[in-house]
Amino acid sequence: MESIIKKLEEEIAAFAPETKSEETGIVRATGDGIAEIDGLAGAVMTEMVLFDPSFDRSLEDALKDPEPVYGLVLNLEEDGTRAVVLGDSSKVYEGMLVRRMGRLLSIPVGDEMVGRVVNPLGEPVDGKGPIKGVKDTPIEREAYGVIDRAPVNVPLHTGIKAVDAMIPIGRGQRELIIGDRGTGKTAVAIDTILNQKSEPKESRPTCIYVAIGQKESKTAKLVAELAEKGAMEYTIVVTAPASSPAALQFLAPFAGAAIGEHFMNQGKDALVVYDDLSKQAVAYRQMSLLLRRPPGREAYPGDIFYLHSRLLERAAKLSKEKGGGSLTALPIIETQENDVSAYIPTNVISITDGQIFLESNLFNQGQRPAINVGISVSRVGSSAQTKAMKKVSGKIKLGLAQFRELEAFMQFSSDLDADTKRQIDDGRRMTEVLKQGRGEPLPFEMEAAVIFAATNGFFDSFPPERVNEIEKKLQDFLLREGRGELDAIKQSKEIREGTEESLKEKLARFVAANA
Amino acid sequence: MADYGKKLAELAAHDESRALAAADKLVKELKDRGELKQLSGILRSARKESARQRSLAPVVEVGRAEDADAALRAASAAGIDARKAVVNPTLIRGWRARARGMLVDRSGKRALVDLYRNVTR
Repeated sequence: MESIIKKLEEEIAAFAPETKSEETGIVRATGDGIAEIDGLAGAVMTEMVLFDPSFDRSLEDALKDPEPVYGLVLNLEEDGTRAVVLGDSSKVYEGMLVRRMGRLLSIPVGDEMVGRVVNPLGEPVDGKGPIKGVKDTPIEREAYGVIDRAPVNVPLHTGIKAVDAMIPIGRGQRELIIGDRGTGKTAVAIDTILNQKSEPKESRPTCIYVAIGQKESKTAKLVAELAEKGAMEYTIVVTAPASSPAALQFLAPFAGAAIGEHFMNQGKDALVVYDDLSKQAVAYRQMSLLLRRPPGREAYPGDIFYLHSRLLERAAKLSKEKGGGSLTALPIIETQENDVSAYIPTNVISITDGQIFLESNLFNQGQRPAINVGISVSRVGSSAQTKAMKKVSGKIKLGLAQFRELEAFMQFSSDLDADTKRQIDDGRRMTEVLKQGRGEPLPFEMEAAVIFAATNGFFDSFPPERVNEIEKKLQDFLLREGRGELDAIKQSKEIREGTEESLKEKLARFVAANA
Repeated sequence: MADYGKKLAELAAHDESRALAAADKLVKELKDRGELKQLSGILRSARKESARQRSLAPVVEVGRAEDADAALRAASAAGIDARKAVVNPTLIRGWRARARGMLVDRSGKRALVDLYRNVTR
């Protein structure tokens, strides 16, 4: 033993550590998750810094708390820098040493993240241990340019009849989901994720759900729902709960985009849901005010538009040369009193390729999903719609818009002429057909068959209040007896003449049996 | 007005007597103009700049007193000139020097902390 001790003593005596020269700063002041730093003259915007508590502590104390605290440089000033603390800001104190890390904010990203719940720094928070096979990737990057992109022409089926028929979404599109609180925005996004299970594995998009400023209980419930329905097999959840620092809530969507791009760059499809960007904007406003940036409209900083545009511009359908992958973005915005003309909603509406507007009035009337067809649009999705869906859904939107106009006269229905009455009844029937419960996305071929039945008058013999019940029976009937037709639609993505005839014949049989 | 405080602190770093004279003149000028209330802002700014200068001032620390001369020479070779070295036993061995935002760390503590972090990562 003596010889071992002697050897260790000799080792320590001969110890000559290598010279390390690095740029450092000292925390001048800290508070509210922001640190003012003297020095770091060479730091660049969005560079990571390390708050090092080991510098002025004994070795023993330094090793007691080995968890490093990182920061993100966001203000470069004449006599120093300001950084946001990414983590427990109570560990940062005045006089603390800050080291430059020489790299932009990066998170570990990899295929192994699928099925996991991570925070915006890519660290697992689901208690399933470390994630292997990951590579550090900057969370901010310039979006692909025009040359690298291809037109959006492949559909992303949501499994929601109203959306797939009237507001179709294409892979690589940015479709905003907007509405007041409690109108079913998250439900639309989650149903879309659940519906990807019906896609063949090889073309199934990897889904990333980014929860920003949400209650942890809500996120836990969603994760449990996704896991229960087998959707976690192809889903990653990035969570920055309401209790997390504003900096992490601001970064969460960028982390989600970086993860999505990882799959897109491999030629695969990815879908990312940002739930929701209003909360991210609020977090960014808080940070900007604390960083003493000048406030603008509604106290948001001047670059709030750029914050959202640079994030959503990263959604893309890549050209064949670039692998042909895609990143579809479904940002969510919460409105106040259905006011879509507020600052953040108008910004995001103008950035995205369309919006699904959910209205509280419709929700309270029992219309689920509560989509206001009149002001919901998809600017690029129709070119991605399948022939089958295009064929069956052609006039639904116009018919429903006319129905909404006539709806006001419904209370005088006894005085209406037969034509108007029929139009109102058709509208009511179609509204009932488009109703769909939460967590019940339909495969595309079933949607097409049901809407085919509705637009070809197969529900006309039923009173509108029975349509919902009849539609459910029809689904069961088609699963039992229309398997061939459904498969034909699924494979060909259209309703060919032969399929149409046999479908009509079966639908007639169904109507006769249920009359 | 805050710039006056910063400039006074910068001047004091090079020539304290000139800075004192400038401060006297400034106070007199403010009195004559009836703007003495600006003095608190100038003082705040001067304190901030002084603290900044202190935090960026050259410092050489050594783990053991007998290493001081060698550490000062090595620090000077690395571009950091300090008048004397301060003994900091938490460094265990070696030395570290800091000036104007640059840090050269050849301490045993740093090496051991890095080793620990690499092993436990």
